[in-house]
This record gives sequence, C-alpha cells and structure tokens, in this order.
Amino acid sequence: MFFKIAVRNIFAYAKRSIITVLLLACTTALLVFASAYMDGSHARLIQSSVEIYPGYIQITHHGFRDNPSLENLIFAADEVSGRLRDFPGLAVLAARFESFVLFSSADKAVGAMFTAIEPEKERQISRLAASLKEGSYLTSDDDALVYLGSELARRLKVGVGDQLAFVGTAADYSFAADNLTVKGIFQTGLFEFDSRASFVAKPYFDRMMAAENYATHFIAQPERPAEAAALAAAIGARLGPEFDAASWQQTMAGLVQAMRVDSIFGYITLAIIFIVIFFVVMIYTLLVVYARVREIGILRAVGTGPGQIFAMLLLESVLLGLVSVLLGGLIGGALAWYFHLHPIVFTGMEEQFKQYGLALTDMPTAFAPLVILRDMAVMFVLSVAATLYPICKVNAFKPIEAIHHV
Amino acid sequence: MFRTALRIAWASLARRASRSVLVVVMIGMSLWGLLFMEGIYDGMTEQMISNAIRSDSGQLSLFAAGFREDPGLDRLIRRDGEIAEQLAADPRVGSFVRRLRQDGLAATAHYSRGVMIYGVELAEEKKHGRLDSYLLEGEYGFGGKKRGVLVGARLAEKLKVKIGRKLIVSAQNSAHEVAAVALTVTGIVRTSNMALDEAAVFIDMDKARELFATPQGVSQISVIVRAEKDIPALQDSLRRQFPDLQILRWDELYPALMQGRVMMQGFNLVMSLLIFGVAGLGIFGVMLVSVLERLREFGIMLAIGTSFRQVLGIIFTESFILGFAGFVAGSLSGGGTLLYFYHHGLDLTIFSQGLEEFGMDVITFAVIRGSYFITAFAAVMLATFVSVLFPLRLLKKSNPIEAINRV
Repeated sequence: MFFKIAVRNIFAYAKRSIITVLLLACTTALLVFASAYMDGSHARLIQSSVEIYPGYIQITHHGFRDNPSLENLIFAADEVSGRLRDFPGLAVLAARFESFVLFSSADKAVGAMFTAIEPEKERQISRLAASLKEGSYLTSDDDALVYLGSELARRLKVGVGDQLAFVGTAADYSFAADNLTVKGIFQTGLFEFDSRASFVAKPYFDRMMAAENYATHFIAQPERPAEAAALAAAIGARLGPEFDAASWQQTMAGLVQAMRVDSIFGYITLAIIFIVIFFVVMIYTLLVVYARVREIGILRAVGTGPGQIFAMLLLESVLLGLVSVLLGGLIGGALAWYFHLHPIVFTGMEEQFKQYGLALTDMPTAFAPLVILRDMAVMFVLSVAATLYPICKVNAFKPIEAIHHV
Repeated sequence: MFRTALRIAWASLARRASRSVLVVVMIGMSLWGLLFMEGIYDGMTEQMISNAIRSDSGQLSLFAAGFREDPGLDRLIRRDGEIAEQLAADPRVGSFVRRLRQDGLAATAHYSRGVMIYGVELAEEKKHGRLDSYLLEGEYGFGGKKRGVLVGARLAEKLKVKIGRKLIVSAQNSAHEVAAVALTVTGIVRTSNMALDEAAVFIDMDKARELFATPQGVSQISVIVRAEKDIPALQDSLRRQFPDLQILRWDELYPALMQGRVMMQGFNLVMSLLIFGVAGLGIFGVMLVSVLERLREFGIMLAIGTSFRQVLGIIFTESFILGFAGFVAGSLSGGGTLLYFYHHGLDLTIFSQGLEEFGMDVITFAVIRGSYFITAFAAVMLATFVSVLFPLRLLKKSNPIEAINRV
C-alpha cells in the first residue's frame, strides 16, 4: 500500500518529481562519466609512460634501486635468465645496461644516457623499435652502431651514417671510448627522453665497457600487464633476497601518486557540485512536504502513525532516487562506453602533455561496471540523505498543528 | 515605501525560516566551494609560473639568435655589457641577471649524468629571483675558492650526491675540446622547475668562464620588470634596440604554463556557471512556491490599492535578501578559508612525490583576487533575479479577484 501511495504522490507532484529526477540523473551521469574519464585517462597516461621505455617489471640486484652503483650490478645475467626460463605468466625477459657517457660530434659535446639492449627482445618490451624515425633499428650483431634519440641527434648535429665519439666509465671503472656510427634515429614524442637516450647492441657494449654477462637490470614483460604486481612478487620469490623485482607501481611511484593527486582534486571539484545539488534536492523536498503538511496532519488524525508517514515519504524519495540514479547511470555508462571505444582526442594540447613527459593526446575513458555501480550507489545514498531532514521536520508536527498549518 | 517592502519581505522570509535558511546555506556553501577551488587552483598555476620566471626565464629573456634551437658557446650575447647598462638605466626593469650555459656531464665516482651547466652570479640571482629561497640543503654559496656547485634536487638524487661530496663537471669548451673541473657540492636546490631540478648544476660565473674557455659573452639575460603591464612595451623597445637578439616573454618560453593558466580560467568559468546554475534552480523553487502560496495575499494587496510595482518590489527584495545573505555567508567563509591558505598554504607533503612529478610545489598558497568576489556577487544577483522572473510572470497573469476567492 505504501508503494501505491508513494507512486501516486510522485505523479501528483509531477513538476517537483521531474526536476528532482533530472537534477539527480544529470549529476549521476556527470559523476559516472567524470570517474570513467579520470580512471581511463590515468590508466592511459601510466600505460603510455610504462611502455615507452621503463617496462612493467624491473629486476635488479638487491640494493641497486637505492644505490645504483657498479658494485650493485647483476653480475651473472645468464643465471638470472636461466632461473626465470619458462616462468609462468612471463612473456619476455630482456637485459639492459644503463650508463652515461659524453658524446662528441664534429662540433658538439653532449652528455647522454648510453644503454645496452638486446634488440630483438627489446622490440617486445618497449616502443623503441616502433619509434624509429630514420635509418634502421638495431640488431644483436651491430658493432659500433648507435640508435639515437631525435633531439639528441639534432643537438649533436648528426644524421644516419654520421660518426660520433663517446667517452665514459666502463664497468671495471676503466676509461672507455670509441667511435660510433649512427644506425637509426628514434622519436618517442617525449622530449626529455628523445634528447637524452641512446642505445647500442649489448654484445658490443659488453666488449667496450667490460660488462660481459653484466646487467644493471632486466625488464620482465608479463603476459597480462594487469597482473604485473603479482608477477613481480612471484619473480622476487623465485630469485630470492639477492634480487629485487619491482612492478611499475613501485618504479614509477611518483607518477602513480601524481595520478592519485589529480583524482583527489577531481573528486573535490565534483564534491562541490554535489553539495549544491544536495541542498537543491533538500529544498525541493522541503517545499513539497510542506505543501502537504495539512494532508499529513489529517492522515495522522485518522490514525496513521509517524513511522508509517516516515516510511511513505521515504519510499517516495527512494523511488525518485532509484529512477534518477538508474537513468543517470545509463546515460553516464553509455558515454563512458562510447568514449572507451572512441577516445577523446585533445588536439593542440601536445605542448602541455609533453611538459609532463607524456607523449599522447588521445584519452579513452574507462568502462568498469563495478565503478559505475559504486558511483550510482553514492548518488542514491546522497539523494535519499538529502530528503531526511525535510521528512523528519514535517513528521515532527503534531496532528492538530499540521491541520491548521497555513 | 522601500522600508515597508523590506519589512514585508523580511517577515515572509522569517515565517518560512527553515527554507530561507536552507537557501542561504546553499548559496553560502556553493560560494565557499567555488572560492576555495578558484583560490587554490589559481595558486597552483601561479606558483608554477612564478617558479619558472624566478628560476629561469624572468618575464623576458634575451638570447643570441639561434641559441634556443641550438644552444652552444658559439651563440652568445657578445654585447652583454652594453645591454646591462641599458637595462640598469630603464625604470621599468626591476632586476636582471646574466647566465652562461653549456651542456655537459656531471660525474661522481659511481654515477654520471648529462647536465646543463649554468655559470651564475649568486648575489645577483638572489636579488633577481630569490634563488636562495629554493635551497633545500647546504649553503647558498660556492665557498671561498669558488669551487662549490649547487645541484638540482632530482639530479642530486640520481647522482646520489650529498653536501660536501666531489662532483666532476665536464663539457666541451669554446675550442671544441672537452674540459673538466672537480667541484664540491655546497648546496642542493629545488626550484620546482622540472628542467632545472632534473639537470641543472650552478657554478660560479668566473669558474664557468674558465671551464668553457669563454672570457666574454653570456648565453642568457633574464629580466624581471617592476610592473607586469610593462612586459610587451619593454619587449618591443628591446627588440628595436637589439634586432640581432631573440627576446622572448616567459609565456613564449613556457607555453605549457600559459596554456595551463588559460585552461584554469576556462575551468573556473564553467564551474561558476554550473554551480550558480544549479543554485539558481534552488532559489527558483523557493521563490516560485513563495509567490504561488501567497497569491491570495498579493491579490488582497492589489485589491486594496497596492500597485503591481510595489508587489514586484516586495518579491525582488525577498530574493535579494536571500541572495545577499548567501553571498555574505559564502564570501566570509570562503574568504576566511582562502585567507588561511594564503598565509599558511595547503600542505600536501603526503603527495610530495606525485606533485614533484608534475613540477608542483608541495605547499600551495592560495590566491585571493577581488575579481572572485565581484564575479560571485554578479552571479548570485543574476541567479536570484532570473529565478524570480517566472514566478512574477505567473503572478502578473493571475487575476486578483480570482486569487482572493481561492481557498
């Protein structure tokens, strides 16, 4: 019976019901879409940053991340790869040796990162090969051939086929120097990376830098990137305390936290809008229940208990809330789904993105049904909570007072 | 007559105290939220701009032609003495500094890293952009023999250097030969300008001249003006006087920061429209009901000779009181909150790693602008005005006799 009365009242006060439903539905849609956008764009930013070069899982000798000195290198690279052969969930394992050298061309000298890679495996764990701009990518047999970032090549004023020299410290602290020929130039779009990175094939590097079978770290590519953290833990357990296996959540903690800060500010902004909407819903409920004070007084006078009145009014707001949240969830969910398939493209914002080290402009929204349900639940609770004060207030009238209320 | 209208309006608002209070609280809360958001977000943007200006670009930077595209010792400002005299004599110029820059390598016993080596005059930098205020550890100086070096905070982390440690700085000199110097880390600076924090080492200007074998000339002259409005005029006059130089404003050097500022303005505008639009809907509901439930009362007033203008006055006064009270409540609470964060700053140390990733300060000091309050006042008044238009239309259409006879 309560249900019938509540539905009738909703239709009897159609204008209030429509305004409340519209307001709540729009807000729910806004919340659902904003969450999907924030989650989606953050995931995209992180994925892009991880995949360009850093990789999902980094395996180092214990203590290397805190103190990346030559004493903390992996000194038996083949042993590590042997122990992780056919490891479940691990797609590719590639060794790297990162060092810094001073490059000098005919009229320029520039300090840069000088990294040894296993070219074929590297192709599967980062976007280096895919970022080729000129010339060609490395192969394992390449001797004294270097793969340079586009900005670094520009600063050194060298092109494909040109010569340049490097000077650096070898793994045994000796002085290492040689002449290199530029084999290829890459452009990831990340200015910082393109202006500081250079790569050579690991066999050549090992010979020049006295680093035979050494590595600064391994990059492990999981079969399912979403499970990187669990795989890192499993690899860590297999390798024992001598090694550290860190997932991107640890190696790129700063970026992860930056995304969290962005979400927090996003939710603060949304919360401010919600506060206003909360009050508007409260005001409209107050107006409607006050318009019905006499009716409620009469109901009380003929024996309806305050609990029943409360239940009746609450059921009205629950029904209105449900309809609004469902409608809003559908609209917001549909938008999230659409922009998940057709990412939003920010043209003209490359400059700002690059400043933050991000080489992308298309942002897909996330489509996560559980998150959408969470947002809908939040809005539902808010919408019902907003009606509690007016309902309690009107229910506090004595029947006679209520009947005489003007 | 105005007094009567005011008294009637006040009495009817007081009669429905809970809903009047709700409307005032709603406007107050919306305004509080909006002011807080604008002040803090603008504070973040302005702080990033200020850090870039103070630590690097100034409001204007002078470079030799082609230096920006291809920095090197063969592209220096040779007439820096003459330019300095000119700048010192210009009343629009607040301060300026000269810097010598070359790319190179910084190495410890274990690590090495590509760096930007800046030759600077510390005393001048202190006056110019308060470089000393960015000091994180150590002292602001190069020691008695000028063999000290100030290192960017993120670079120091990557090189694992601490105060007192040796750092070998090497670079190609003007004769295209690699030269190196052993220095001692005297200080670590965090400017929140990402490029500098990640790759800059500051050494004494004379030491830099010796290392780069460059006895004359500078790479950059950074200028800060006394009043921001003078920037374009000063840029024009310098361009006319020194046509062979590249003279760029901070927003030309850091376009992303300017883009950030413009985006923030757009964002604030959208938020204001959204919030006051919704708040307007709240006021509209209350005013509509307030007019509809008093149709009889207004009918009687009109019947005994009150003019429609007077009734109009009462209704407008009512909505004005609601709007104004909300505005005062919101301005006081929002202004107070901003004032607190203006002095104490919003401390987000727990997210320091994330904020540094974006080149943002850990403590954000709010900005308070008169325009926030003026815009908010206009928006509140507009929202209250627009929200009574429809109820008034209804009132005008209704017949007083019919209204009196309504039960």
